[in-house]
Amino acid sequence: MGMKKNYLKKYKTLFRNNMKIRFVIFLLTFFALSSYSQNSGQISGDFSLNLQSYVEDEAINAQAADEVILNNAFLNLLYSNKNLTIGLRYESYLNALLDYDSEFRGNGIPYRFATYTIDGLEITAGNFYEQFGSGLIFRSYEEKGLGIDNSMDGIRLKYKLGKGINIKSFVGKSRTYFTYAEGIFRGADLEVDINESFNFENETKYIIGSSFISRYEERSNPIFEIPQNVAAYSGRLNIISGGWNYFGEYAHKINDPINSLQESEMNYASGNAFTSSITYSQRGFGVTAEMHRVDNMLFLSERERTGKAYIMNYIPTLSKPHAYTLLAIYPCATQAMGELGIQLDVFYKFKKGTPLGGKYGTKVNFNFSRINGLEGGNSMLNDNIDFSPKLFDFSQELYFSDINLEINKKINKQISYNAVFANQTYNKDFLEGKTPGEYGTINSTIAVLDLSYKIKKGHTIRFETQALFAKQLETATNDEEGDWLMGLVEYTISPNWFFAFQDMYNYGNENESKRLHYTNINIGYLKGSTRFEIGYGKKREGIFCVGGVCKLVPSSNGLNLSITSSF
Amino acid sequence: MRKFIPIIVFAFIFSSCEVIEGPYMSDSVNPIDTTTNNYVKNILIEDFTGHLCKNCPDAASELEAIQSVYGSQIIGLAIHSGTTFARSYPIDPVSNPDDKFIYDFRTMWGEELDVFFEVSENGLPKGMINRSDYNSSGDHRKDFGQWSSIVADELDKEVKFGIDIEVIQNSNMPSDQFDIIINSEAVSNVQNNHKLVVCITENNITNWQKDGDIDNPTYTHKHVLRSFLTPTWGDDLSSEEINIGDSFSNAYTIVISDLEDFNIEHSENTLTLGNGNSGGWDLSNLYVLAYIYDISNYEILQVEEKSLF
Repeated sequence: MGMKKNYLKKYKTLFRNNMKIRFVIFLLTFFALSSYSQNSGQISGDFSLNLQSYVEDEAINAQAADEVILNNAFLNLLYSNKNLTIGLRYESYLNALLDYDSEFRGNGIPYRFATYTIDGLEITAGNFYEQFGSGLIFRSYEEKGLGIDNSMDGIRLKYKLGKGINIKSFVGKSRTYFTYAEGIFRGADLEVDINESFNFENETKYIIGSSFISRYEERSNPIFEIPQNVAAYSGRLNIISGGWNYFGEYAHKINDPINSLQESEMNYASGNAFTSSITYSQRGFGVTAEMHRVDNMLFLSERERTGKAYIMNYIPTLSKPHAYTLLAIYPCATQAMGELGIQLDVFYKFKKGTPLGGKYGTKVNFNFSRINGLEGGNSMLNDNIDFSPKLFDFSQELYFSDINLEINKKINKQISYNAVFANQTYNKDFLEGKTPGEYGTINSTIAVLDLSYKIKKGHTIRFETQALFAKQLETATNDEEGDWLMGLVEYTISPNWFFAFQDMYNYGNENESKRLHYTNINIGYLKGSTRFEIGYGKKREGIFCVGGVCKLVPSSNGLNLSITSSF
Repeated sequence: MRKFIPIIVFAFIFSSCEVIEGPYMSDSVNPIDTTTNNYVKNILIEDFTGHLCKNCPDAASELEAIQSVYGSQIIGLAIHSGTTFARSYPIDPVSNPDDKFIYDFRTMWGEELDVFFEVSENGLPKGMINRSDYNSSGDHRKDFGQWSSIVADELDKEVKFGIDIEVIQNSNMPSDQFDIIINSEAVSNVQNNHKLVVCITENNITNWQKDGDIDNPTYTHKHVLRSFLTPTWGDDLSSEEINIGDSFSNAYTIVISDLEDFNIEHSENTLTLGNGNSGGWDLSNLYVLAYIYDISNYEILQVEEKSLF
């Protein structure tokens, strides 16, 4: 009875707001009418369904779902006619997959908007996504893979003030699941293309930008002074000259304490972040050097809340995003409260006909990244403490490092391969919020060979072999997961079918009863823009990240079905 | 139009920023006026916690800070719940030589509340303040930074019930047997149905707790839920409609060692990763806690606490 009551509560919330329903009726009428008129504009959309069954598997600690089958689905509809675009997204979580926050529950239309442009002014009412600069002070986005959607609901205006000068501003609240966080955001961003606006006939191009964001939250505190309006601002510069490209951004956030009654929890320190990157590229060669430092820069839609649904800014990650499974077992999560990182990325293509290039040329990518903490942690300020960490100190606790080399080569018309060698260091205790000494820091050496063989026209077979050799850098109280092996065979009959079989084997687990196989089998069928995939197997519990933002994926065992389609 | 837009934009840019200069601590609060009514509004903070939850001591300290501001009007109830944070470690001299986290603080009722209110599955620490927002679009599971402002809102609410706890022990009873009488009274007009819940808590238990980056063997666990004397969802105050001035009396006879044995048996046989290590109750630290809630929205309208001695 209890559970039912809970669902009822969410449904009530969804439908209580008559405005939403009226808006939907309005949109549906609009679609209906538009299909009758001569100049009817365009309707497009896409659909996705992801269904998974969960059975208990004690060996891998996988839980069965009470519902047996869980299901995430959404449908986007977009109508555009001349200067007008209207759209909505219907989302259904009955109930949400286990790797999603359980607050995603029920059905609804949490995303709907109308945009039109007139006299250079673009007006959006309803939901929108927005990012200022690289996102240091504000990023509203959706990432289905992570279960993140902090879309804004409000009004946004974009206006071209003059040649090369663009301004955008908005006011709105951010989405958390099927409701909105309390904070009201007001923001503005100005971007000026110097060359365009001042008619510079110059080889070197300069673009400058500046953003401002402010959050209002009603708060009171019987002991401490609390700011109700918390602002952050940033400035950025982009210089492009020939093969060179420099981008730098600095951001600052004013005091943003939580509303506690404990002095030790009250932090009035401001936050700051900067990121700087320089790239040189020419045909067949590119190099990027990057650096960032972040201190006390977590900006939330409700200051006291925990959880990724409330995060409103984004610190771009400084590590290479890996697609191969074993390279991504220990991923880097960006620390908005404090980190200092560097990255170097070099790309080179050995030309064909040279000794290393062979008949078709060879592509090589070298990447190095290293992220460590700030000396003494993040800035802290209250009546008892006034602390700010040193600006640059690379000797602090290591969070993550990755040095890797990727070689991509076509041997002949049938065979090509991609090979990766990497050495990663992962501070599991810190990055996963454990007590120091529980799991320690893991150093792993990883090798991947991905070999494709074209059997005949339309038929390709691909083999992936991966190995990870782990070393515990200090003793830990919990068992080490140790070494892994992985193999994958994928057979593709283009354009319609693919079949894949993969096995991950944790043969080096310190706990012998956990030396397990995680086997998966997948079959996919593609027709036009519709794709069906069905799979069965076991997933390992782990951390999954996109761009440094991470979630915990629980272990699971079951069948999954996914359908995507667009029109 | 062109001139107008930048003016609007910049006007709000410069108006929405509050940089606060120290000292950050302001004057303390005014005491609540208790002259107009016999009963004051008390607040129950149900602190869902676990000895394996490294951030939970921050929430427990917040509860103490709130109590130091508002005094006895704030009543805490620490509910150790969920397998992730509240399970007990095995008693095994080889794998766990220091006997870390071998105590099982969980109870049958705490687990039931945790599942019903879906608290620990979304991460701890979380608390409910008089279970407010359970039937609203807001989230009833509050992060500890939210607690003090909700407490302030709750304290402004009208007092609807008064509760008085009587503990009786006669010389002919065993030393751990008690008669508990809960006398309550409707002091304003109330609608809906209400139920009474009575439970036993234990204060100041010294045991292991993950606290930030350390495993603390001598952490003081405050107001820990031990047992319910009523069903989880309470007993009826009255079978009839409640009017202003109506008073009620509910009586319970308890034997502490029986309650203790029940928890030991439950930990051993029912709880996931339980080990039956739930005993060792200290009679002198036990409290009776009673609250009345509205069954339409689960909101707790009044709560009272009294030491068993």
